[in-house]
Amino acid sequence: MSRAFTDNINSFNGSNNVFFIASDEEPKILAWLSPLDPQVRHHDICEQRVDSIGNWLLETKEFRGWYNGSEDGGSDHTALFCYGEPGVGKSYIWYERLLANN
Amino acid sequence: MVVDYLCNHVVERGMVVACFYYDFASREAQSPTNMLGSLLKQVLSGLEAIPVEIVQKFRGQKKAIGGRRLQLPDIVKMWIAVTSLQRTFICVDALDECVPSHRREVLGALGQILQGSPNTRIFMTGRSHIRGVVEKELGVTATSVLIVSREDDIVTYLCARLGKDTTPEAMDSFLKNDIMKSIPEEISET
Repeated sequence: MSRAFTDNINSFNGSNNVFFIASDEEPKILAWLSPLDPQVRHHDICEQRVDSIGNWLLETKEFRGWYNGSEDGGSDHTALFCYGEPGVGKSYIWYERLLANN
Repeated sequence: MVVDYLCNHVVERGMVVACFYYDFASREAQSPTNMLGSLLKQVLSGLEAIPVEIVQKFRGQKKAIGGRRLQLPDIVKMWIAVTSLQRTFICVDALDECVPSHRREVLGALGQILQGSPNTRIFMTGRSHIRGVVEKELGVTATSVLIVSREDDIVTYLCARLGKDTTPEAMDSFLKNDIMKSIPEEISET
C-alpha cells in the first residue's frame, strides 16, 4: 500500500478485521442514508425556548419511568408520547431539558 | 450554545441523541426511509468511523443499476447493530404533521427498533388525535403524557420576553401588570 493512499484513509477496527474506507466515501454513505438534515429547526427551537419552562414534566412518574426504565420498579415503557392541543408548547419540551436535568 | 452544551453533556455520559422534526410543508421529502435514515445518520456522525456492515451495504447497493434505495428493514437492522453498546435517544417532534400512512410505517419501524435495541428510548410529541395510533402501533412499550400550558410557565415566559423588550420606553408598570394578569388568565380559560 503506497504512502499516499494510507494518508487518505480512515481505519476501522472491526470485530475480526481492520477495515479501510476512503475519506471521500463517508459523506457519500451519509447522503445515501438520508438527504434530510433537521438541524436547522433544532437551532430555531433552542434559540426561542426559555429556561425552566416545562420542568414539571421531569417530575411526572411517566417521565421518570421512561427515562430510568424498569430499574425504578415500574413497567418498562421505552417510548414516551407527549400529546396536547396546538400551541401548548409541545415542541419546546425538548430533549436538552430532558438530558440536562438528569 | 445550547447545542454545544448538549453535545458535551451527551459525550460525557456516553449517550447519543438523534432528533427529527416533522413539518407539514416538507411532508413529501419526509418519507419513512428518509426520516429513519436521518436519525441513523446522526448516530453515525458521533462515531469515530462508520461500522463495516454499513459500508459494505453501501458498496453492495452501488452495484445495482442507479443504486438501490434503502428499505426500512435495512435501517432498523443497522440501527440495532449500531446502538447495541450505547444508550441512545430518539426524539420525534410533531408526529401529527406526518402523512398518516407514513406515520404507521414509521411507528412500526420504531417499535421494531425498541424490541431489538434495549438501549434505545423514544420521545415523541404530537397533537392529541394521534394518541390512539401511537399506542396501537407501539403497544405496551408506550406511555402518554398530556401537555398543557401551566400558569407558572406562562408567567416565566412573559417575564423572559418582557426582559428582552426592544422598546422598553413604551412600557410602564400599569401596562406590565395588565399583561402579567390578562394573558395567563386568557390562556388558562382555553
